[in-house]
Amino acid sequence: MRMFATIAKLLVKRVLTAIPILLLVSALLFCILRILPVDPAAMSLPPNATVQEVEAMRTEMGLNLPLYQQYGIWLNKLFHGDIGRSIHFRQDVTSLIGSTLPATIELAVIAMMVATVFGLAGGLFLFYVRGTRAEAVMDFVSILLLSLPEFLWSLFLLLIFGVFFEVLPFTGRLSPGFERPLVTGFLLFDSLITGNIPTLLNALQHMILPCLALGIALSPSLMRVLRSSLLDAYQDDYIQQARLRGLSEKRILIRHGLKNAILPTLSLMGVQFGFLFGGTLLVEIIYSYPGMGNLMVDAIRNADLPIIQGAGLTYCVAVLVISIVVDSLYLILNPKLRVR
Amino acid sequence: MAILPTKNPILSAQNLCVESVGAKESFPVLTDLNFSLEPGKILGLVGESGAGKSMIGRTISQYLPKGFAVTKGTLAFDGEDLVSMLPERRRNLLGRDIAFIPQEPLSGLNPVLTVGQQIKEHLLRIGLASGENWRERALKEFESVHLPHGAALLEKYPHQLSGGMCQRILIAMAFASRPRLLIADEPTTALDVTIQARIVKLIAEMQKRDGTAVIFITHDLRLASQISDEIMVLYAGRPAERGPAKQLFSSPAHPYTRCLQLANPTITGPRRGLFILPERMPGLRVLKELKGCRFASRCPNAIEACTRAEPPLADIGPNHIAACIRTEKTPDIVPPPLAPGREIASARIHLNGEKLTKAYTTAWSPFAKRSSFKAVNSVDFSLGEGEFVGIVGESGSGKSSLARLVVGLDTPTDGRITLAGRDITANGNADRAYRREYIQMVFQDPQSALNPRRRIGSIVTQANEASGLHNSTRERMDRAAELLKEIGLPPDAAMRFPSQLSGGQKQRVNIARALCTLPRILVADEIVSGLDVSVQAQLLDLLLKLRDEHGFSMLFISHDLSVVRYLCDRVMVMYRGEVVESGRTETVFADPKHAYTRSLLAAVPPDDVNAEWSPVLAEAGYQVE
Repeated sequence: MRMFATIAKLLVKRVLTAIPILLLVSALLFCILRILPVDPAAMSLPPNATVQEVEAMRTEMGLNLPLYQQYGIWLNKLFHGDIGRSIHFRQDVTSLIGSTLPATIELAVIAMMVATVFGLAGGLFLFYVRGTRAEAVMDFVSILLLSLPEFLWSLFLLLIFGVFFEVLPFTGRLSPGFERPLVTGFLLFDSLITGNIPTLLNALQHMILPCLALGIALSPSLMRVLRSSLLDAYQDDYIQQARLRGLSEKRILIRHGLKNAILPTLSLMGVQFGFLFGGTLLVEIIYSYPGMGNLMVDAIRNADLPIIQGAGLTYCVAVLVISIVVDSLYLILNPKLRVR
Repeated sequence: MAILPTKNPILSAQNLCVESVGAKESFPVLTDLNFSLEPGKILGLVGESGAGKSMIGRTISQYLPKGFAVTKGTLAFDGEDLVSMLPERRRNLLGRDIAFIPQEPLSGLNPVLTVGQQIKEHLLRIGLASGENWRERALKEFESVHLPHGAALLEKYPHQLSGGMCQRILIAMAFASRPRLLIADEPTTALDVTIQARIVKLIAEMQKRDGTAVIFITHDLRLASQISDEIMVLYAGRPAERGPAKQLFSSPAHPYTRCLQLANPTITGPRRGLFILPERMPGLRVLKELKGCRFASRCPNAIEACTRAEPPLADIGPNHIAACIRTEKTPDIVPPPLAPGREIASARIHLNGEKLTKAYTTAWSPFAKRSSFKAVNSVDFSLGEGEFVGIVGESGSGKSSLARLVVGLDTPTDGRITLAGRDITANGNADRAYRREYIQMVFQDPQSALNPRRRIGSIVTQANEASGLHNSTRERMDRAAELLKEIGLPPDAAMRFPSQLSGGQKQRVNIARALCTLPRILVADEIVSGLDVSVQAQLLDLLLKLRDEHGFSMLFISHDLSVVRYLCDRVMVMYRGEVVESGRTETVFADPKHAYTRSLLAAVPPDDVNAEWSPVLAEAGYQVE
């Protein structure tokens, strides 16, 4: 079918363009972090090391070589899955990222689902009350929501449900005493496939507050975009024409209005999801959530270059993957892009 | 002995009034509408925009714009009042017994659903098909509107089809349920003349098949008189005249009908001047306070008595009524004499194109072979000083591509253009500067051609920004005042924004902007299409008047042959990128040599209402991808 052919073309094209982007980002990450006034050799030795010892370490780490050679060596290692060793944690960066990335992905995906549900419901409601007095109220509420950032929501929710009512846990991913199954690294998924229901439920409880905080913070912009896209779509002749054919308002909204209005909303969701990967940072810290955000903060605090480089590349890959997924979805939903 | 059944009207309006109801006051939009439509008859609704034509369609569906309501009278469909009817009952009638065909066929279909999905939805709703057999039924309906390759069509999205095909699909959907009433609101305005003819004939054919009553809304009196049994001319929300189509067209009783008729240029016979209807239809606020005849302010026959009381609709013949107290004077309205023809044979050649070609090549892609097609193919043309040359043809014939080459928006792939002796084919920076002084373009849609955030005074003198000459505020305001005077706008218009002007005024501003630096050549792309005939006549005369004052020449692109015949000294007929015929307008139109020119001319509704309109109905080549 033509649709799959077009999507296949898009995938090939995007993967091909992703390669130079990744190379560029890796070079950038490498150079910028080399320019920083920190000496990895000195940092990886005890504070009382002598100058000779540091110099020996520099040679051992290849820091005396020309920059492009250093980059070549680093890139070569990267291809073999070796991003280096963390200076601070004394662990392979790959395994550090491997253990924290799934947590962040789970957080981001569920938060995005929450944002989608709230955003679509809110957008439909805003559209439904158009032209009534409730619209002014809802408009006010949505702008109020829009102006509250996710860390404030995190604090509100934590104080209300965690501290005041004490109904939900608010630190980490699991309460003490729960067994942690390890298959893929994705806690929710792993506990589901191993049938470990108590762990699953406990993990889900831990995710409610951070996901709500992120989801609520992201939803107002989705609401407003969906509302205005719906208003635009309802200006179009095909809506009027559908009415004149006697279709019900419900059917017009879902099949004709929403199907068109979802397109701009979807592209905003793609952008948000990309941001979300970096944006979980504050929420992860507030809820002591063991994800990439916490890892990054530790790495930056300790000038742990290999981690910063590894995390930077991971974000870059994540954003590229998301944009490819969103563009493919766009192709599926918008036939106009499928021609040629 | 068989007793003939008395025909009950399928739709009848009695004293119908629609008002725009505001918080403080209401304004009448439709006033005292009385008509009845029998099964199988076609009622043509004619008038300028704002006359309330479309409002009647919206009142029937009861999907009125916000704040509008029926305040008096009844509108009955088959004896049932549509206004007081339960919404559920009315919705049940829509699409089943009452069908609509929209003005813009391309946007009348949902862009993200296939044609098949949309017709299936409709067929299932009206209960004409079940889950399995909808496809057969859809193909049958496509066949009846002469759509070939129906099966392939079902998989298509609207943007992959032409406007004419989308309109056919909408007609097929409208007639699928054998409706008793069809409302066609300007169904052909957005289409080419040849397509218009086919669509109108198709509607008439379907209407005969099903015995459907049709309300045919159009601003083209000539078209309405060809297709309708009866015509109602609306003016400012009230019927000015109503009568049998042929009779109304051949002997209009109301001055407004007569003026509309004379404002439209003819396609056959001797050329005549256009009657210029002054100003505009009065606004809602004025109408509310108005005591006398609403047309009086623009009527050439108005006397003092006309302003005292609203004239009643009076009988003037069998089934023929008009709201005028001086109908006997209506035939006295005659078009102004035609401006004397210009002798252009000896004129100097300004602009010359030799074997001009523009080929477009598809973008490079690793997956497909590049292909190219010639939008303009080896076109020779010339434009003399003070000469107006028309370019006609269907959409896709290369008219606009040629215009883009002339103004330098595109560079030709082959051929040569010379402007006043200088070769400007290369379109380099110096050529552009040179060309800018000579040639200016007027764009089709003033709505999007005028920056909504700039004032008119600044828009019309925009050219001074580019040249840097006379660019002080003082100089620009002075020049703007001169330009506005020339195009007939009040001086205070300079401080307004485009949104505060009417469509016709905006198009005048659009022309004034092109004239700001006194170019020698104007290129005008469909600048009067989509406008009312009255506004069109005003603009055409404005162009002729400006030519007399400034002596510029013009390439005038239009799909309206009558307009070209009125305005242009010479005409070029384009078909698939090539000029198939050219020559003096009157000669070409009176004695067309090429078959394509003949089919274009045959597609225009004839001036004589009794002449047979026999457009060539052969299908244009349509290829399924």
